[in-house]
Amino acid sequence: MFFLRYLRCELSSRKKQAVLIALGLALGVGLVVTVTATSAGVQQAQSKVLQGLYGVGTDVTVTKTPPPITPGSGSSGGTLFSNGQVCVSGHCSSGAQTIDNLTSSGYAPMSYSTAASVAKLHDVSEVGAGLTLTDRQTQVPANFGQGGAMPTSNSFDVDGVDFAHSSLGPLANGTITSGRNFAASDADSDVAVVDSDYAASNSLKVGSTVTVAKVSFKVIGIVSQPQGSKPPDVYIPLARAQALGTFNNKSLSGDLNTIYVTAASAADIPSVQKEISKLLPSATVTTPSSLASQVTGSMASTRQLANDLGRWLSILVLIAAFAVACLLTMAAVGRRVREFGTLKALGWRSRRIIAQVMGESLVLGVLGAAVGTGIGFAGAALINQVAPKLSATVPTSSGQQMMMMGANGPSSSTSSVLHTFSVPMDASVSTGAIVAAVVLAVVGALLAGSVGSWRIAQLRPVDALSRVA
Amino acid sequence: MYKLTKVTKAYQKGRREVHAVHSVNLDIADGEWLAVQGRTGHGKSTLLNLLGGLDRPTSGTVDFNGRDLGALRETQVTRTRAAEIGFIFQTFNLVPTLSAADNIESALLPLGIGPWERRRRVRAALESVGLSDRARHLPSELSGGQQQRAAIARALVKEPKVLLADEPTGNLDEDTRDEIVTLLEKQWRERGLTMVLVTHDSSVARRAERIGVMSKGRFSIRQDTRRRAPA
Repeated sequence: MFFLRYLRCELSSRKKQAVLIALGLALGVGLVVTVTATSAGVQQAQSKVLQGLYGVGTDVTVTKTPPPITPGSGSSGGTLFSNGQVCVSGHCSSGAQTIDNLTSSGYAPMSYSTAASVAKLHDVSEVGAGLTLTDRQTQVPANFGQGGAMPTSNSFDVDGVDFAHSSLGPLANGTITSGRNFAASDADSDVAVVDSDYAASNSLKVGSTVTVAKVSFKVIGIVSQPQGSKPPDVYIPLARAQALGTFNNKSLSGDLNTIYVTAASAADIPSVQKEISKLLPSATVTTPSSLASQVTGSMASTRQLANDLGRWLSILVLIAAFAVACLLTMAAVGRRVREFGTLKALGWRSRRIIAQVMGESLVLGVLGAAVGTGIGFAGAALINQVAPKLSATVPTSSGQQMMMMGANGPSSSTSSVLHTFSVPMDASVSTGAIVAAVVLAVVGALLAGSVGSWRIAQLRPVDALSRVA
Repeated sequence: MYKLTKVTKAYQKGRREVHAVHSVNLDIADGEWLAVQGRTGHGKSTLLNLLGGLDRPTSGTVDFNGRDLGALRETQVTRTRAAEIGFIFQTFNLVPTLSAADNIESALLPLGIGPWERRRRVRAALESVGLSDRARHLPSELSGGQQQRAAIARALVKEPKVLLADEPTGNLDEDTRDEIVTLLEKQWRERGLTMVLVTHDSSVARRAERIGVMSKGRFSIRQDTRRRAPA
């Protein structure tokens, strides 16, 4: 076919220029692909972190900040150590003892009916309940307060699991690696599933026991959570958590402190968030995107770098690549003025000549796209090889309520605990990125061809041929 | 074939208006060979461009087989050029990246001829100019004379009614010049072409039926050796 022959002959004759144009486009496209892959990798890593906190399938979480502690209200619920005695809720005793409290100090309780109200809202697909608690065990030695030993304490996170909505909540994200998961019949049993890291550090296995609020729970399963998440250490049935847990010395029976919500679709998340905030004005309604904005650490910096600097750099390089392609194509057309003038004299219409030039540009665009995609893959692979693990610090409100003495008297606040995760990043090139790369390269090449074509369309054969003389 | 009536082509040069061709009246008969001589810059090439529809007159009419080339739309002129007018240039103007055969074929593309028929005609054209063994050669691999022969083949492959040649031997040595002019003459005779040939060379011009002279944009006939019908 003459068209292809002419195209092939022309590109072969100006190989250097053709390679330059294709390479310029390839570099621009390759950078776009690499930046997109990096951005996607950071997004994925961030999603894993957030999913680890709230579980797969959770679009919105609802919690409630506890009210401030007022002095003398007896609502501090705390443990005081003074004069060798241990006072718990106003009752004091001395001697060796173990204090084991399962408390919801970071979140205020909500009644179970709140979850039912949320479930009735428009665009809400599923609602699950949870109790996010902390078990604090304090060992008080016999000689406490006698100038010797001090109490030692340790704590671990406990999650009350709602069996009716097992696809929501932190446990939904994990994989049972030993034993089994909860069954419906475990709803009122003293059984627990333990996080694999916690099990390893406390030498727990299936069949071991773990003490929660002075009650022995039998470990029935070990769960492994995705790397980079900060899951609870121990999972027990919601009903048992409600029975054993307290908030400000009051039982959590019939209560929950976390509601996990799935929206009907991703597009409905903002409206669901709004509706819940309207229903529960005093609640904290969080979505992964709102939590994402609180993520700090090198992950946040990398995300910003990829999104801001990376995006602008890609745009600048692409503009430069397009400009170079346009200039080189214009130069090539300029050198071929006599040729095109002759063809017009032979009876070629402008559109036939333009089709030839556009065809040449298209070939260069496709070549640029192919090479650019390869550069993108190589760039992503290089980033995976050399990039250090990212750290993500996420604030979660599961710390202690603190009482402070200030100039204006005592005050209390709920501290946030900062969880820092080390997250591996996997820059991966998606099909969408490849398609975008091809489109960009082809568009850039066709743009260059159009610029040259405009010149051809303006060309008068007599002017072109007069240049010969 | 052609009837030029008070044809003028003027260009603006600063504040002055320059007449490259000034009020030319000229009839060219079917099958005639007209040579046009004149000094450089006196309008020979401009006249040829007007005859070929490459340029439009400022005033006057260029009647080509009953059609005023100056009044036609650009697409119509292009179509006329594609089918009926062949061009030969001093510097050959072959496409440098295409072979001799492909250069010749390029003249047939606007006519919508199928690939087999195109190839057949290209083969015949190459044979008629003695370049069958140079079909795959690029212009850079051909001598000046071979390049001009390829250009002649390109001009004639579409079987035009008119052949317009602008200094076809200008870049050639004496022997090659004779070769080319002989080839042109042969084609003119065999095909019954109307040929207008612009040349500085008197020895080339003398072989034509009529010799015209362009002088400061004005045309006059110097010699007419056409056979006249008896009175």
